[in-house]
Amino acid sequence: MNIANVSRRNFLKGSGVFVIGAALPARANLPDGSVTAAFEPNLFVALDTDGTLTVTSHRSEMGQGIRTAIAQVVADELDADWSRVKLAQAPGDAKYGDQNTDGSRSILMNYDRLRDAGAAARLMLRQAAAAKWGVPLDEVSAENHKVAHAGSGQSADYGELAADAATLPVPEKVSRKSEAEHRFIGKPVVHVDNGDIARGKGNYGADVKLPNMATAVIVRCPWLGGGVAKVADPAPRPGLIGLEVIDPAPPAGPMFAPWGGVAVLAEDTWTALSVARELDIEWTASPNQSFGSEPLTAELKAMLESPGQTLFDIGNVDAAFDSDGQELSAVYETPFLGHMPMEPPAAVASVEDGKCQVFASVQDPQSTRGLVSQYLSMPLENVDIRVTLLGGAFGRKSKPDFVLEAVELSKRLKRPVRVQWTREDDVRHDYYHAASAQFHRAMVDEKGHPTAWLQRTAFPSITTVFSGQALMPAEWELEMGFTNLPYRVSNQRMESAGIRPGVRVGWMRSVCNIFHSFSANVFADEMAALGGRDAIEHRLEMLAEGGEMEVPGMQPPPGHAMDIGRLRHVIEKVRELSEWDRERPEGTGLGFAVHHSFRSYVAVVLEARMEAGRPKVTNSYVALDCGTHVNPDTCAAQMEGAVVFGLSLALDGEITMKDGIVEQSNFHDYPMLRMNEAPPTKVHVVPSQGRLPAGVGEPGVPPVAPALSNALFAATGTRYRSLPIRMA
Amino acid sequence: MRYELSVNGQTVAVDVAPDTPMLWVLRDHLDLTGTKYGCGGGYCGACTIYVDGNIARSCQTPVSTVADKAISTIEALHENHPKLVEVWEANNVPQCGYCHSGQLMAAAALLDRNDSPTDADINAAMTGNICRCGTYTRIRAAIHEVAAYDATATGSEEDAA
Repeated sequence: MNIANVSRRNFLKGSGVFVIGAALPARANLPDGSVTAAFEPNLFVALDTDGTLTVTSHRSEMGQGIRTAIAQVVADELDADWSRVKLAQAPGDAKYGDQNTDGSRSILMNYDRLRDAGAAARLMLRQAAAAKWGVPLDEVSAENHKVAHAGSGQSADYGELAADAATLPVPEKVSRKSEAEHRFIGKPVVHVDNGDIARGKGNYGADVKLPNMATAVIVRCPWLGGGVAKVADPAPRPGLIGLEVIDPAPPAGPMFAPWGGVAVLAEDTWTALSVARELDIEWTASPNQSFGSEPLTAELKAMLESPGQTLFDIGNVDAAFDSDGQELSAVYETPFLGHMPMEPPAAVASVEDGKCQVFASVQDPQSTRGLVSQYLSMPLENVDIRVTLLGGAFGRKSKPDFVLEAVELSKRLKRPVRVQWTREDDVRHDYYHAASAQFHRAMVDEKGHPTAWLQRTAFPSITTVFSGQALMPAEWELEMGFTNLPYRVSNQRMESAGIRPGVRVGWMRSVCNIFHSFSANVFADEMAALGGRDAIEHRLEMLAEGGEMEVPGMQPPPGHAMDIGRLRHVIEKVRELSEWDRERPEGTGLGFAVHHSFRSYVAVVLEARMEAGRPKVTNSYVALDCGTHVNPDTCAAQMEGAVVFGLSLALDGEITMKDGIVEQSNFHDYPMLRMNEAPPTKVHVVPSQGRLPAGVGEPGVPPVAPALSNALFAATGTRYRSLPIRMA
Repeated sequence: MRYELSVNGQTVAVDVAPDTPMLWVLRDHLDLTGTKYGCGGGYCGACTIYVDGNIARSCQTPVSTVADKAISTIEALHENHPKLVEVWEANNVPQCGYCHSGQLMAAAALLDRNDSPTDADINAAMTGNICRCGTYTRIRAAIHEVAAYDATATGSEEDAA
């Protein structure tokens, strides 16, 4: 077992005398799925002599409840008293293993190791007590922060045993609890940060203050790749420190470098904002000024008219299309989307005496550390990245361009600097979820089932952000709902095409699953409609009876093959939950969609009607199978949130660019779903059943938009194949 | 300019430009960072405060307009609305929590003027507050729960009397 007693190595000074480190897997740190080198032992459980248990979260909290979940797992195996558990947040450091809080895999990657860390500590506390009392280990039990020996009636608080336990070697083997023995795992525990949040004490990136800190608001070039040609000096005013010009990132290569623009530095935010608003700047040109989202979409759709790169080809699709029979084909399109976390990017940096300290709401403090070290040509050990709470992230805050801006400005100013992005900055300088188009064509039998199926997808790949040469969608992007479509037909071909965009694209909550799930689920619904079939009955028939699905392209991690039985189960569950067969009022329709992503299975039914020319979702139902889960209430909350996130993008989500400039700027022209449109949501979470843990944060999103489109078809007879859904 | 302000029952002084929004006065000058910046345009409600007991968007409220008024922020909310804060916490209402200062302020203001809000009342009172994590159904349920609790509490007092 990869656990080390590091108590004497002083890793967590002041946080406890008994410290356990457990090796965590180091893998898939990069979004291209490439594996990085193994890391040092890295997870830490610290127990103080007063019995305070400090659990260090090495994952970033952005609302998904991970800090609570990590503590639940460790405290459960350790048999701790929950009221004595404290949370610490790990800085960016390879010793913790993978810290990239992205891809819905915090529990998937860490569950067993967190359990072992807790279980090892528990065993060592029992050993310490047994030695102290001179009794056999197997007569000593641990329960609720106490070790006891029934025979002699002796007992000791964990705190009393911490110093002794710290001297013991780590056991070779520990036993984990059974599911039935769990006290916190699998229970709806209240999130550890709720108390602070409800009292206005939650500490986010934008809330950090350092002594002598200046604030920067940056006016960035409206188009990607442009820089500052000329800027007029603003009139002096109290609080204004001055301007700093930031050069844009080089045209090719990793685009986590600053965007480029004029930074207004001031003693306070309002002065910086006021001066920024009045700046008169002349920008340099960039080839990206010819970029537009409308021409891009037209080009994507044109690409779908001819063969792309073949990813999978069985039977003879072309021959099947030449034969007699009923044919169905459709083109689907989806726009660029913005992440728009409620907290716009913000970071505080202090570069001083050859060292750099950063406080920021980042999803991946370790890669941030590496980038800052590289940017400043400063040894890694001199860079300290502290993670605050993240006021939403959805993938945006794993791109630390805003941190590098703060670092650059602090270096120049020789004092701590906070960079505060405005909402307009956030909307106009995001790493956008890519626009896309799909083409589906099928020969359909009398029951609405495909006998031949051609599927094409085209979109600008996220890899274009990392490389000036990248063009084609990557395997890991295609594995998001395209190559791993759960339906196998005897004649089937999958093709992809790529394009280079004139903007930065990036992963956003559930990534390519959004458009792949949309097109596949609506097309399946179209096939069912063509056969005059019940959508759910038809879909169940389209799936294999059960078993693991073999897929082309990128393969799932071991133990996580797509299980068609589990997919069927969530479909049946959502049918039950939604009372699918119950008659709905005239003009109200039900829409169904199902999707497998981030190793989880989610089926959604939406109930919707048209109201004053706009879709109105009146009820939503979600069935989730994420395998073993730590906090069922968090799972439900994530599904509730996914419905809202999915409806926001389905109803209003669209970023457009013209002449390289983003045309939206704030919530008035990039609206979010609000309270008045949020439907009641019923969630069923499939029991853990000892299965491997899978994703929770993202997999709820992909089925939502297609379920809405399908519900509107049921309600109105009109098919909506483009997002956002717009009334004719 | 120097302004004397009443914030959460205390008198404080700041020296800022007259057009400085209360949002930045609170955050930058008074270290009350519970009030959040979300949009700067009055669209999202993350910066909600009370001015003389009424809801205000602090990003749209220049300091010069509130010098003689009582300002109250999320940091003081739990003193007058302990049950609301308790239910919010116990029900896992927040996710990332960033907008929840504003959500709580709006919810408390609603309950102050309406002790049994309907879903329509909640829509009217809460639609100005965006939550990107999508916690709306829990916000709605929490408001109903607090209203029901208050009704019971009031009822038993009446019984006792």
